[in-house]
Amino acid sequence: MILTEQQIKALPYLDPPKTVRIKFRKAGRLKHISHLDLQRSMARIIARAGLPVWYTKGFNPHPKLVFGVPLPVGVESECELLDLRLDRDIPNEAVRDMLNAKLTDELCALEVREAGAKFVEISAADYSITIKTAGACNELAAEIQQMLTSSPLVIIKKSKSGEKEADIIPMINNVSAKYCADEDVVRLSVRLSCGQTENLNASAVVSALRERLGILSGDPTVEYCNIRRERFYGADGKQFV
Amino acid sequence: MTNDKKDIRRMSGVLGSVQKPGRYSGGEYGEVLKDKSLVKARFAFCFPDSYEIGMSNLGMRLLYGALNSDPDIWCERVFAPWVDMEEQMRAHDIPLCALESGDPLSEFDIIGFTLQYEMCYTNVLNMLQLAKLPIRAVERGEDCPIIIGGGPCTYNPEPVADFFDCFSIGEGETMLNEFTELYIKMKAEGRYSRAEFLHEAARTISGIYVPSLFEVSYNDDGTVKAYTPKYDDIPPRVVKRIMTDMDTAFFPQRVVMPYIETVHDRIMLEVCRGCIRGCRFCQAGMVYRPVREKSPEVLDRQARELYEQTGYEEMSLSSLSISDYTKLPELTDRLLSWTDEKMVSLSLPSLRVDSFSKQLMERVASVRSSSLTFAPEAGTQRLRDVINKNVTLDDLLNAVGVAFEGGKTSVKLYFMQGLPTETESDLDGIADMAREVIEAYYRSPGRVKGRQPSVTVSVSNFIPKPFTPFQWEAADTPEQLEAKQKYLRGRITDRKIHYQYHNVGTSHIEAVLARGDRRLSRVLEAALDAGFKYDAWDEFFNYEGWMELFRKTGIDPAFYANRTFGRDEVLPWDVIDCGVTKSFLLRERDRAYAEKTTPNCREKCSGCGANKLGGKGICCPQTCGEDAQ
Ligand code: SF4
Repeated sequence: MILTEQQIKALPYLDPPKTVRIKFRKAGRLKHISHLDLQRSMARIIARAGLPVWYTKGFNPHPKLVFGVPLPVGVESECELLDLRLDRDIPNEAVRDMLNAKLTDELCALEVREAGAKFVEISAADYSITIKTAGACNELAAEIQQMLTSSPLVIIKKSKSGEKEADIIPMINNVSAKYCADEDVVRLSVRLSCGQTENLNASAVVSALRERLGILSGDPTVEYCNIRRERFYGADGKQFV
Repeated sequence: MTNDKKDIRRMSGVLGSVQKPGRYSGGEYGEVLKDKSLVKARFAFCFPDSYEIGMSNLGMRLLYGALNSDPDIWCERVFAPWVDMEEQMRAHDIPLCALESGDPLSEFDIIGFTLQYEMCYTNVLNMLQLAKLPIRAVERGEDCPIIIGGGPCTYNPEPVADFFDCFSIGEGETMLNEFTELYIKMKAEGRYSRAEFLHEAARTISGIYVPSLFEVSYNDDGTVKAYTPKYDDIPPRVVKRIMTDMDTAFFPQRVVMPYIETVHDRIMLEVCRGCIRGCRFCQAGMVYRPVREKSPEVLDRQARELYEQTGYEEMSLSSLSISDYTKLPELTDRLLSWTDEKMVSLSLPSLRVDSFSKQLMERVASVRSSSLTFAPEAGTQRLRDVINKNVTLDDLLNAVGVAFEGGKTSVKLYFMQGLPTETESDLDGIADMAREVIEAYYRSPGRVKGRQPSVTVSVSNFIPKPFTPFQWEAADTPEQLEAKQKYLRGRITDRKIHYQYHNVGTSHIEAVLARGDRRLSRVLEAALDAGFKYDAWDEFFNYEGWMELFRKTGIDPAFYANRTFGRDEVLPWDVIDCGVTKSFLLRERDRAYAEKTTPNCREKCSGCGANKLGGKGICCPQTCGEDAQ
């Protein structure tokens, strides 16, 4: 459903504006775009989509965009979240379709709904990790499974206050590692702590595996590790949308 | 499923190890993807500088759209990899690839390089090497892509002539399509060979220059003796192509939208081509003649389309001299009728001081203020008359007065040093003008109280360029330029005046390449071997290294940069006809030395010769014959 400028102007004006939550994909080649660049681009995407955006009042009016948990560069996602304020009562499907008319498959809106719980309530996320490495086999998958489920697995975590050692096993759940013979890859899925209180990047898990198991140390044009964020969870263990 | 979208390109594995991987990702909204098995020719459009610079280039946006408008042609983008990426590519044997398909350049039919400035030549050679293609045209076999160059530097392409199979001279919107269509046709008819194709292109497509079809001979003193065409059926001088009607000229419906920040990250609305002014140092002002404008209706429609495709929050009206656009008030009225509501701000490039008014500033300052830049170019009226920059100190003071009244506190002024006939008093004039601007601020009753003004004085080095009245002049030596910089620095004492200057070494090499001939290919090849690249970037430019290469190759840079060329000398670029005649340029040069200005094209035609190219809606009317109608 794509609405014209006239049709949108005929929709009821909302004061205060409504906040919609956009779930979007960032995948394929566009995983290489940083969060900062995505933030900057989003205002333009919304503008060219022709959405009835609510602008902040004041000297330098701008749309109000609130992103969920920033996605590290190089990681794909099927569940990124963005809250956006609109000042017309436009149907959610129209918001989705109008965005997608000005986007590509590698970055597109998957779902639009009314904004619910705040992003601070996000506490975990599922990741699918595909590892193409020399030595991929059933035994490697079993080793990975073992390593990610037995404490301690200590890594150096960098933070603003410096570097410190941390056991990351408490932040890793629902581990499943399987060797997939037809593609010669190990498929790993994990649920990691995610959000403002505790956060573990999937790439840190992969680095730990790389260091200990010597995987992914070959030709980078042949071997690869693809990480995809699949869905978020709240503190209550329910899926966060 | 999403697995299908995985980045499978060979280079993707190293993108985790480079800064700004978004330079190499591709996948932007607006990129053109085609099925390679269904197209008849693949064109790689190469910009020999970083992604951020290339994606800001209006010409590339236009030509990418024009080529892709043909369903038989797939045009893709290629930029110079940054040095960190190049390191990865060399370490892992990754050839240079196009962004859209990720395919290596060697798989393409035609590779086009746009040559925007001389200092990108080493990047061109480096890109050819990274693409694993032979550097010299003569070494390329039948299955190599055809390599064509275009852009402003092709008004004297001779220093790089040995590396290119051909050049497109002038505006490429239809020329490159014709060129590629001829390639497709000859392939389909089974009569393609490199030599046959290049000969036929030179013979049948106006604006195509094939350097290998001209024999160059030299005099004992090193100057050019003659250019002799190898066939009688090709034009002995290649006449540049222009679009005669800008309203109907190709306009891209889509724009590739970068995700990473680029240099000109905004809508660029091309208002007109050419310039009525005729500043005597300015190559663009001569080679883009005659002036052709777009109508406000067409521009307004195109601006809306661009906004709907991009969502940019800023639109810049682009032209060599925007305030000379005859329908500027009508255009800005039309644009402002919708841009304000959509929070799009208008910006104008450098303004002419004699046409700057309160009304104009109010129009462009809406929503967000744009910074103000003026280009007096020279410090004294005498020297401004020499260069035919028809503005006065009063014009400048009026303009900055308006700006200060309107709440601006900072102004940037562009000047040049090393101009013909320049003396110390002309340099003093630069410092004086900056001081006058500061004083004008304090005289201005409506200024922002309690704020200090700031004036930036940016001084570039004059470089004689082909097809200008100053094409024969000697450039100052690096030592002379440096002494002048030191002198001027000493003359600027006020802390409110910020003095910016340019690297004299870069200017020297640029001056060599700008007026160079084919013998310079030896130096460029040596530069490639020495690993030179990104010479336009101060952090990579190696002046001592260049001097060493000149010594090693036995080429005297001063012969090209610091010598006054003879009036009757055959110039390396005489093989190109850009419309403007040599006799006009000589007349203008004589007037410069007589300190006489020349009226602009709208006041009075000076018979430059460009009207023979035709062109609708230009300012060379009755006086210039029928073509101009
Ligand atoms: S022919 Fe006359 S009016 Fe036209 S560009 Fe030349 S000088 Fe200007």
